[in-house]
Amino acid sequence: MTRIIAKLDVKPPQVVKPVHFEGLRKIGLPNDVALKYYAQGADEIFYIDIVASLYRREILYKEIEAACQDIFVPFAVGGGVRQLDDFSKLFHSGADKVVINSYALQDDPTIIDAAAARFGSQSVVVNIEAKKWSNWWECYSDCGRIQSKKSVLEWVKEVEERGAGEIILQSVDTDGRRRGFDLELISEVNQMVNIPVVAASGAGKPEDVLSVIKEANPSGVAISSLLHYDITTVLDLKKYLQDNGVEVAL
Amino acid sequence: MSYDVGVVNYGMAGNTHSVIKALEKAGAKVKLLNDPESFSTVPRIILPGVGSYKEGMEELHDDGFIEAIRNYDGLVLGICVGMQVLSYLGYEHGLTKGLNLISGEVKKIECSGKVPHMGFNRLEMIGESPLLEGIENELFYFMHSYELINYTDILALTEYANHKFVSAVSTGNYMGVQFHPEKSREAGIQLFKNFIKMEKVG
Repeated sequence: MTRIIAKLDVKPPQVVKPVHFEGLRKIGLPNDVALKYYAQGADEIFYIDIVASLYRREILYKEIEAACQDIFVPFAVGGGVRQLDDFSKLFHSGADKVVINSYALQDDPTIIDAAAARFGSQSVVVNIEAKKWSNWWECYSDCGRIQSKKSVLEWVKEVEERGAGEIILQSVDTDGRRRGFDLELISEVNQMVNIPVVAASGAGKPEDVLSVIKEANPSGVAISSLLHYDITTVLDLKKYLQDNGVEVAL
Repeated sequence: MSYDVGVVNYGMAGNTHSVIKALEKAGAKVKLLNDPESFSTVPRIILPGVGSYKEGMEELHDDGFIEAIRNYDGLVLGICVGMQVLSYLGYEHGLTKGLNLISGEVKKIECSGKVPHMGFNRLEMIGESPLLEGIENELFYFMHSYELINYTDILALTEYANHKFVSAVSTGNYMGVQFHPEKSREAGIQLFKNFIKMEKVG
């Protein structure tokens, strides 16, 4: 079954929608937004604090605990994760999975090994922000602000070997533009690794979600604009996908 | 105050928070079990599970819970890794002896699909238990790379990528589910409602 995941980009105290990783629009309070998509049938909620890492500030645990109230599907949390103790505190604040990007990419990738050994691979999600160049994709961090010189196709292999249990694959180029996914990127990454890949960035209409599933076969699709702008609901999207031959949890 | 259920709080491993919230949603009076002495105050315990088999056992050992669970006289429900450590042996990050309360061992999933197996999936009922009454056809959330190999106490199987694995077990007062009831919407809440109504056997 292909998972449909509602992704909340959070700039506390608000869920926001970064447009092409630049301007921000306020959407609502995290728990209100999460409850709305949960009620619509989201299979999971991803909560990403998009400024924690950039500002080098502490993870806001109280906000996270409040955000996941009454959400009885997996709640994955990321943003500003730098040490094993952060994972532990996040689980105790209601996270079921922890999402890591900047620190593993830019500082110390061995945090992935350590977290997988301690908490199990299934709860370690690596977030990747890919930027397309003429013949390769580069990993970025901090909402497309900081380069790494690392190749996405090499990095995804590395994080898998280090024990990551899942990849959420964003594209700096397509995020917030609502013009469809980077199908080639998602397809290549998905074939490269044997862990689940969640496709993100770019859905502007239900057809975009169908096409990424048909062409790249990711384990899940993360959507935000589609829901934030009431273009569709999770339930309507799932029905549409099911009518088009995609197996979803309904 | 009398409690319906205790949740074993074993150190870093375990998404204790999520399990307690779901139990409360199910109407249960929940006690967090922070030490072995507190086990005698509850009629049922839950061993939650986020973590690896090895770390899970080490945490249980460090917190002095191993004997407390083995000697516990009420109903025991293990969730995910919490179910896995009820078995005899785990293969995750080296060989680790488990609690040995249900038969079998825990090995990496080998199948043609992506691992971890992640997402909602169905049950195929093999046995019968009040634990899954009324929710046999519902969807439950799985997130795991390892599976329990058991031939004697199977309550339900689940199929993933043409591979069938044990998704629920039950023997005497011990039961376990590979999926996460606390993350399985109303079906999971119902499972907890069923559990807090169950009485120990023998």
